[in-house]
Amino acid sequence: MRRFLSLLGLVCIAFSSLHADTASQAQAATESLRSGHPIDAASRYRTLLTDPAFRTACSPELWYNLGLAEEKSANTAVASLCYRRALLLDPTFTPARRQLETVLGTLGLPAPSGWHESVRQALHPELLIVAGSIIGWVGVFGVILFIFLAPRRKIAIAALIVLVILGHGAAVLGTFVDPRRVAADKAVVTSKKAPVLHATPADSGAPGGTLSPGMLVSVLSRNGAWWYVSGGPGLTGWIPSDTVTPLLPAGSSSSGGS
Amino acid sequence: MNLSPLHCFRRRLLTVAVLCAAGICSLDAADVSVTAEMSRPEISAGEMAELQIKVTGAQQADVPQQIAVDGLQVRLTGQSTQVQMVNFKVSSSVVYSYIVMPLRTGKFAIPGVTVTADGRQFRTAPLQFSVADTRAAPAPAVQQAAQSAPPPFPGLQPPPRRARPAPQRVDESRLSFGEITCPKKAIFAGEVVPVEIRYYFDANYQVQVRGKVDFGGEGIVAERFPDPKESREERDGTVYNVLTFRTLLSAVKPGTIDVPPAKLDCQVQVPGGAPPGFDDPIFRQLMGGQSPFMQARDLQVKTAPLHLDILPLPKEGRPASFSGAVGQFDIDALVSNSKPAPGDPATLSVKIGGKGNFKGMGAPVLTEDEGWRSYPPTDKFDSSDDLSYSGVKSFDFTLIAQEPKKFSPGAEFSYFDPTTAKYVTLNTKPLSLQASPGSASNPAVAPDVSVGSGETKTPSKNSGPDHQEVKQGDPVPGMTLRSWKTPLVRSEFVTATLAMLTAALALLGILWYRHVQAHGGSARAQRRRMIAELLASVRLESLDATATFEAALGYLELAVPASEERKALIDSLTARRDQLKYGVGETHPLASTERAEILTAITGLNGNTHRS
Repeated sequence: MRRFLSLLGLVCIAFSSLHADTASQAQAATESLRSGHPIDAASRYRTLLTDPAFRTACSPELWYNLGLAEEKSANTAVASLCYRRALLLDPTFTPARRQLETVLGTLGLPAPSGWHESVRQALHPELLIVAGSIIGWVGVFGVILFIFLAPRRKIAIAALIVLVILGHGAAVLGTFVDPRRVAADKAVVTSKKAPVLHATPADSGAPGGTLSPGMLVSVLSRNGAWWYVSGGPGLTGWIPSDTVTPLLPAGSSSSGGS
Repeated sequence: MNLSPLHCFRRRLLTVAVLCAAGICSLDAADVSVTAEMSRPEISAGEMAELQIKVTGAQQADVPQQIAVDGLQVRLTGQSTQVQMVNFKVSSSVVYSYIVMPLRTGKFAIPGVTVTADGRQFRTAPLQFSVADTRAAPAPAVQQAAQSAPPPFPGLQPPPRRARPAPQRVDESRLSFGEITCPKKAIFAGEVVPVEIRYYFDANYQVQVRGKVDFGGEGIVAERFPDPKESREERDGTVYNVLTFRTLLSAVKPGTIDVPPAKLDCQVQVPGGAPPGFDDPIFRQLMGGQSPFMQARDLQVKTAPLHLDILPLPKEGRPASFSGAVGQFDIDALVSNSKPAPGDPATLSVKIGGKGNFKGMGAPVLTEDEGWRSYPPTDKFDSSDDLSYSGVKSFDFTLIAQEPKKFSPGAEFSYFDPTTAKYVTLNTKPLSLQASPGSASNPAVAPDVSVGSGETKTPSKNSGPDHQEVKQGDPVPGMTLRSWKTPLVRSEFVTATLAMLTAALALLGILWYRHVQAHGGSARAQRRRMIAELLASVRLESLDATATFEAALGYLELAVPASEERKALIDSLTARRDQLKYGVGETHPLASTERAEILTAITGLNGNTHRS
């Protein structure tokens, strides 16, 4: 028992020292950004965000701050990517949403809209999924108990059935509106020059429109250095892969399949 | 040893190739260093200074467009590239020039500037800079100087081509020369003037231009040269090929400046010595008067130095909205989307047109912007000439209404007109639109708007306590960890869901079993129980005879499968029961012997049936 407690203590100390180190690096980057050195701050944030500790989970605040640094360094399209990543982690992160709307406005792009966005803005999808599941399962257990133990309380049973439907319905809705569900196939145009869509994966391919920097596109197919993307109706074609950046960071565990 | 011209040419070509290769190698191996330097450590109020960031060892670097210093406006105005070869070692450097305009007097510390070059980041040393509060008198007679100056771009009429016998002895003063034309001799600090540089080359000789025009000097910022124009001109009976370069020139510090000559390196093919046997005049006449043997001569063509008087911008009458624009401008404004959806931004485009220093121009200031949240504008310049001297610069302000609004903000823009030596302030009126705040920026929870600083408090009711007091544009402290995966694909969520499902099924099973038990169990159990009860009734001695036979018959019906024996036994027991019930009319209990016989018969039949 004593040995187990010692091991547990060592693990706690190691974890807390790692967290303290990360927090101090984040603090230094924030100070650099506040003191008017966005390029230096961006470099520090980028270094911090490549830490393996952030592979499965990450901080929306760090991505938001990196977006600010990129925006102040005139990398507006990259800033929009950072804000999108912050909102991917926390769709209710209001500062990131407003900053994204501002950046997209300066890039001449519309702000994200639709009922999906409204739901995400009002309630975190993760909250919907977890809380909905808990409520739904509580309803399931209640229905089972009432049917067998108090079968004559029809109103209570009906209310519990409604609870089951609402709870699990909320979980399904949360899953549906969760942007992380489809993030693996999304990318953001981060080149400063608007990339031209080609009909074939080659420079000689017939041009078919351009994508605006900062635009969110769906990656439909990949062929080496060329990606087949769709930026909306009538905006589908091949572009060089170095003109876009996947919405999920390269190191994140969810991007493995992309 | 005499070598033929062909051999000379080959040898020179080889030498140049070796030099170039050495140069490329040296360039690759060069170390990168970054330095910052102020043109003057101290200036008077109303003057401007120049900050140069020199990046040595790289041909391109990433530098900020502006350097934030409280009380100073430091803006990038241009860059120049220099390549030097000393002792076969080639070094290249890029110089980024910033105009430093003081907004107040005092001592300033310009922080170190982060420069990204060659994939690495460098930081310059901080610089000290002071602005003295001296009353500098405005410059006199600028208007007169401007009026007496020649037009900026005099027309070039190509002369008629005329053949001319080639000179055998080259007069280098007539072979090539340069001229520089500046429309003004006195300009204000920050003012840009178009400058024309012309290089004349005798049309009888082949000329190859090498390198770019070397023009500029301390305190002078020259823009990048566009491609030159070629023409022909006759001077004193000689036809010249003329290369005309145009650029914009601006000065950053007041005083008298002698701009060094603009130099251009070139190579001219001039008649060379003929080898023995070919130097006869008859041979030259056969070649049409031209010498068939030419040799390359390196020349550096220079213009005359340019003398300029740089006048300080007057401090008196400087508007608060003045941001460094010098020239002649007009202003216009339009709203791109006059009916944005609630909470959506509207865009106010303020267009500054005219001619002047568009690169050093700051953004206009918004007026009557109460109830609006605005952000620093983006700018775009559409030049109407190849020098970017005239055109239209658009500043797009993103505006978000914090309350229902029917008019956009106005805009104020100030500039200094060098022809009248006065500051001019232009205004635009608020434009009609319909905008209202969205739910997120409802006035009930509206942020504290401070447009002047471009910062806004943005309460966030959904983003946790750390985001409550964050101003828009300020970094958010703290860290919260969120997963990149949706819960549906996370193992802990899947495990918990399976556990819930298992628990629910277990609960269902337990309750069902209890329910069944509570209701007598299954049909088989009930049948078995009934058989046992019937057999017990048959064995009960106190039971009357009819009931005993009824129980025995019931037992046979339930416990014994159908067979001939069972049928025969049922018939005999029924007959006996009917006899006792209807014949005797008594209901006494059966005798023990008869009860035992009945038991033996029905249990024996049951046992036989089971065994069979």
